[in-house]
Amino acid sequence: MSDPLPAALPTGGPALPLEIRVHGRGGQGGVTCAKLLACMFAEQGLHVQTFGDYGSERSGAPVRAFTRVDTARVANRNKVYHPNHLLVLDAALLGDDVLDGAAPGAVLLVNSARGLAVFSEGHRGFRVAAVDATAIARRHGIGSAALVIVNTTLAGAYARAVGIPWDVVERAYRTQDLESDLPAAREAYEAVAVREPEAGAATPAPRPRTPAPPRVLGIEELTEDLPARLPTGSWRTQMPRYRSHVAPCTAACPAGNDVVGFVQALRAGGVEAAARVLLATQPLPSVCGRVCPAPCMAGCNRSAYDGAVNVRALERWIGDRAGPEAGRASVPRPLRFAVVGGGPAGLSAAFALGSAGHEVKVLEAGPRLGGVLRTGIPAYRLPPDALDRDLARILALGVDARCGLAVDAAGVRELARGHDAVILAAGLPRTARLDVPGQALGGVEEGLGFLDAVKNGGGRLLGGHVVVVGGGNTAVDCARTALRCGAARVTIAYRRGRAEMPAISSEVDEAVAEGVDLLLHRQPVALIGNGRLQGVTLAVVEPGAPDASGRRRPIVTDRKATLACDGLLLALGQGADLGLVPPGWSVRDGRAFEGEGDGATPTSVWLAGDMATGDGTVSHAIGNGRRIAGRALAAALGAPAPAEAAPGPEERVSPAHVRFSYFEVIPPRPERHAAAAARARSFDEVSRGLDDASEADRCFSCGRCTLCDTCLLSCPEGVVSRSDDGYAVDEAFCKGCGMCVAECPRRAMEMTLEAAAR
Amino acid sequence: MAGRLISANHAAAYAAALAGRANRTGRGFCSGVYPITPSTECMELLCNQEIEKGEVVRVESEHSAMAVCIGAAASGARTFTVSSSNGLALMAENVYAAALLRLPVVMVAANRTLGPPWNIWADHGDTLMLRDSGWVQLYCADNQEVLDSVLCAYRLAEDHRVLLPVLVCQEGFVLSHTMTETDVPSQERVDRLLPPLDLPGRLAATPRVMGGIDAPHTTEVHRARHHEAMARVFGVYREVQDAFERELGRRPADPVVPYRADDADALVVSMGTIASTAERAVDEARARGERLGSVRVRMFRPFPAEQLSALFRGVARIAVIDRDISLGFGGVLWGEARGLAEPGAVAQGYVIGVGGGDVRPEHVAAIAADLRARNSAGRPILMEAGA
Amino acid sequence: MSVPSPLPGADAAPARPAPLLRPGNSNCGGCGMSTAFQIFSRALGQTRVQFVVPASCAAVMAGPFPTSSLGAPALLSTFGAGAAVATGLARVARLNGDGTRVVCWAGDGGTYDIGMASLSAAAERDEDLLYVCYDNEIYGNTGGQRSSATPAGATTTNTPGGKPEEKKDILAIMAAHRARYAASLSIAHPQDAVRKVRRALDTTGFRFLHVLAPCPTGWKSEPALGIELVRLAVRSGLYPVVEIVEGRKLVINCEPDFSTEALELYLSLQRRFQRSGLSNERLAAAIARSWRDLRARSGRIVPAGREG
Repeated sequence: MSDPLPAALPTGGPALPLEIRVHGRGGQGGVTCAKLLACMFAEQGLHVQTFGDYGSERSGAPVRAFTRVDTARVANRNKVYHPNHLLVLDAALLGDDVLDGAAPGAVLLVNSARGLAVFSEGHRGFRVAAVDATAIARRHGIGSAALVIVNTTLAGAYARAVGIPWDVVERAYRTQDLESDLPAAREAYEAVAVREPEAGAATPAPRPRTPAPPRVLGIEELTEDLPARLPTGSWRTQMPRYRSHVAPCTAACPAGNDVVGFVQALRAGGVEAAARVLLATQPLPSVCGRVCPAPCMAGCNRSAYDGAVNVRALERWIGDRAGPEAGRASVPRPLRFAVVGGGPAGLSAAFALGSAGHEVKVLEAGPRLGGVLRTGIPAYRLPPDALDRDLARILALGVDARCGLAVDAAGVRELARGHDAVILAAGLPRTARLDVPGQALGGVEEGLGFLDAVKNGGGRLLGGHVVVVGGGNTAVDCARTALRCGAARVTIAYRRGRAEMPAISSEVDEAVAEGVDLLLHRQPVALIGNGRLQGVTLAVVEPGAPDASGRRRPIVTDRKATLACDGLLLALGQGADLGLVPPGWSVRDGRAFEGEGDGATPTSVWLAGDMATGDGTVSHAIGNGRRIAGRALAAALGAPAPAEAAPGPEERVSPAHVRFSYFEVIPPRPERHAAAAARARSFDEVSRGLDDASEADRCFSCGRCTLCDTCLLSCPEGVVSRSDDGYAVDEAFCKGCGMCVAECPRRAMEMTLEAAAR
Repeated sequence: MAGRLISANHAAAYAAALAGRANRTGRGFCSGVYPITPSTECMELLCNQEIEKGEVVRVESEHSAMAVCIGAAASGARTFTVSSSNGLALMAENVYAAALLRLPVVMVAANRTLGPPWNIWADHGDTLMLRDSGWVQLYCADNQEVLDSVLCAYRLAEDHRVLLPVLVCQEGFVLSHTMTETDVPSQERVDRLLPPLDLPGRLAATPRVMGGIDAPHTTEVHRARHHEAMARVFGVYREVQDAFERELGRRPADPVVPYRADDADALVVSMGTIASTAERAVDEARARGERLGSVRVRMFRPFPAEQLSALFRGVARIAVIDRDISLGFGGVLWGEARGLAEPGAVAQGYVIGVGGGDVRPEHVAAIAADLRARNSAGRPILMEAGA
Repeated sequence: MSVPSPLPGADAAPARPAPLLRPGNSNCGGCGMSTAFQIFSRALGQTRVQFVVPASCAAVMAGPFPTSSLGAPALLSTFGAGAAVATGLARVARLNGDGTRVVCWAGDGGTYDIGMASLSAAAERDEDLLYVCYDNEIYGNTGGQRSSATPAGATTTNTPGGKPEEKKDILAIMAAHRARYAASLSIAHPQDAVRKVRRALDTTGFRFLHVLAPCPTGWKSEPALGIELVRLAVRSGLYPVVEIVEGRKLVINCEPDFSTEALELYLSLQRRFQRSGLSNERLAAAIARSWRDLRARSGRIVPAGREG
């Protein structure tokens, strides 16, 4: 800087002598900014002077800094009162104070997210320039989230605005050891927008010197309390906001239950409050609270800490205790709906439509409502009275249930004519077959038929060794039912590994505890016997390459062995029977169309549940039944289909969002189970449920404010207070430090940049 | 014997204890003390006094001694401390703080030169170091004056028109350890002289910051008001003298004490016990027919410029004797007083007795002789008093 | 001279206006000292207090003349004199028996360094005052220089390569004075902290509270992470949360997990540690040493329970 270069500026550079004033906030680096500008001129051989207006200011408070440039040594030691150039590091500072003393034609550079729009009528006389230095500096990680340091970025914009060549800028940053900020400076250098002054436009009148400043009290005169009230709200660059995020349990629930909602309602308001939330989406809480594989629990953020919240048991707690009536809306002109199939999907559709105040008729082929819940799930897992409790609540809505009424394709056409919409929810009546010799042997039996016979047909007696083929819930149900029917030994043969079994894991554990053997990586290749089954030949299966679902495709080897047995139950899965859909119709996305292809016209017939999706769980069927009912209702009303916006992954609450340290380690409360030896011979319900609802206290309430006061208590300024429906942040004083958001244990808050433009 | 045979240190301690007790119906008395020669005996005696609603805190440094006084005074208590020399230097930061907070602290200094090299004997350099600290400074010439000045100091300091701390100075050993008969007034009389302290801005329950951050413009105002309060001291002090005379039957000395100065053509100006010596020299000079007079500056801050100007009127020769030296300049009193001499008058500075040298009348006579021989003032003359 | 007026108790306390630290104060966003004030405020209730604040960020915060950012009376003292000025206030409060509790609220510079003499003396005299050291491990008010509370390895403006020396053990120093009650409190463990403040307010004699107060500006950390940093300091064992009664009975209030994860996270979230080449191993060894000592003093070899 001491090089005796000639005092010549590149063409277009500012006229000299030059006075610059920088307005910023403590911590933004206003002094460094002024120094950087001085360096740019010093690099060009000019004399400079730069200094800050030092005070006791803290992060965020308004501060000023000054730079003078001249061809001769600068002797003026006063502050700058008539700046030729003004830099404003924070657009919120842009007021008359900032412009004080600036003459027409002065350069006014502002860091603003709004670009040149930040300037108003009063600025027309200035050469104005604007750049979003905060966004640029934030992108380049200069400073912290709460206090972005914009000085070096804005200095780059300044160089461009006043015509300093880039190579001078680079040299200046290097002398100041600020090379790492050059990319941000360059971005600002390129992004800055400039507008020339309008000839003749007035600049704001000089601020009148306050004639009589307020009288300063003497030290000995101060006896009153005069609270300090700095406008610290203007210091912040970001603002906390209360906002719910999506909990993984809720996101995972196939039925669409507001899981966090009902668990928290149970915790805070008891069973009836919880039921109001739960019954909005769930017509079968007593059922699902027993048989759901509970993906909510698999997704629970607490599983990464001390074990997932036992959501299923809580759902059962609510379902078993909630009142027999669900709320029913009243509509002026109820529509008429027919639902074919009284299983979970059909019941869910009927419940949704009935709750909405419409007339619903359910046609069930079997003798009673319930579908697979009635026939396929053993009583020790789902006692009939649990199902009946849920059914009673559905029927209480006025749903007209007609059992023993099978419908065919022609019947569907007829129903469509007589109703505003028809929903087909016939489930999966077709069972998968095993393609091996010997299936006609006595003792070989379809699993679902066996389960129905045991549950509804007065029971069965078995003996000897029973082999169950399959790995789903039906297989496990068959195995455990076989035990209860007197089988001396029960073996489940499954072609994949334990981890791949689709059955609910705890059910498998219980089965094993009751004495069921697992024979994994085996597939039957022949059934042996003479009229009556004597054994099954099982081939060893090796895991192959992963298939589309990510599971490894089983490869049957020729290593075989025969297992002696007396009975074989087949539980290989089921399929849909689309025979209900009238010939010539097609099905697309849950709706039946007349004709096929592009020319097909939509009908008022909809398909719901397993019949449409094949998802295979009760909760999927419930979710799908409700959604189809909603679409059918909207179509019948001529309204647009209800939005089913799936929240984006950024809306989810992941374990990283949960502040685990807030929560005490509390192991999950297990359900009470009957002892394995006693229950293995009984159809009494194995699980007795929870002793109390305290398991709800374990819920993190991911993404949902619980009024835990953590934000209020962690605010260093004490500016968070309780409001009617939650909390209020005093915007006048919040400094935007973000402590409340960082400390929120459950991501019910977020920081926003909205305050930056204040 | 009229009064008790006590040292000035003890006179100061009795005065402090009397003043402290007098505030027993107010917020009480609290003193922070730390020993340093030659002021130690004062704090020792104070620590042995029974003071109703009073506390004497034996702290770990002079810095803390004044800090305790600041805290206690801020809480509305009457306070006291005593120190000397390097103790005052260590204390200096808080000496300033007490004044800038406008707290009516009273302190006694047993004057002693600063070291090292260590020297425990008297000069005025230690308290003059605190000249600009915003305290009222009184310099005494005998034990009774020390006692009376301490009592006056409270009445002066606590007056709402003043609200300034007061420093009462007495030279180490020369006064501090010298015992003379001294009247120690009764508590009843002192109670009448010193009603309970009512500090208007004392720290109570109202949220309020005492000593909060000042901006440049507030400091300008605060200094100006402090300076104005200093200016009011002379008027208030006269009222204090009246009250003292009314309650205790004797009148404390004026800010400036002239001695045979009315018709003098030459004056010797000094502070503390040097002035007593000067007065003896004046008597001897008068006996020789010289028209010599003495002026004792008793109140050094606020500086009694008007009173001195009046005394200097028509005087052709003025000797200013300092028992202190502002190194690189000369005597501090001389620096302040010489400008008050009439145009054309000779105002010559003499420095003597620094570090405790025994200044005797013959030294003053020599000074007077030197003064008479001068047609103009020269550089300050540094004299050696010897042992 | 005006008529003397006030007798003790004449200015009988109006209910202390909440809050203790007023919004619109000048502290940086995310200041740990502000958080410490919030905790203090919660413990305070209606207790009548007077503050002495020696030179520090807290003194600047207290209010530009004539305003006040504190909802209690405060006297700003010279840097090294906090405990002595508080002594004066406390003695007079006791003389007048009005129940006022005097609190000296000082930074680490005013406590560990320049104020050590007056602090030590006030503790030795068993003055009836509560001394709170909000420790941001730096001379924050002067722009971030090292203090004897700055931990080894931290970069400051006058230790650009990281401070070589270890931090003083202030609680051990206070325990050696047989302070009536001395405790360290964590802003991440507010229940324990509020309890300690309350206990300290209710104890007679000299009491000392140590609060680790993150300084986002000096620590070069995110303002939002102040409480989390203290949590990590506690978890890693860097900042023991203990209380010591009468200098003898030491109780460990929060059991660290001494995890490397917590230590690494603590260091990595602060840029002040990033230039010193400070190794986790060295720190872990120092932590282990200090905890062996703490366990010996607590007479408890079995770790205590953990608070969230």
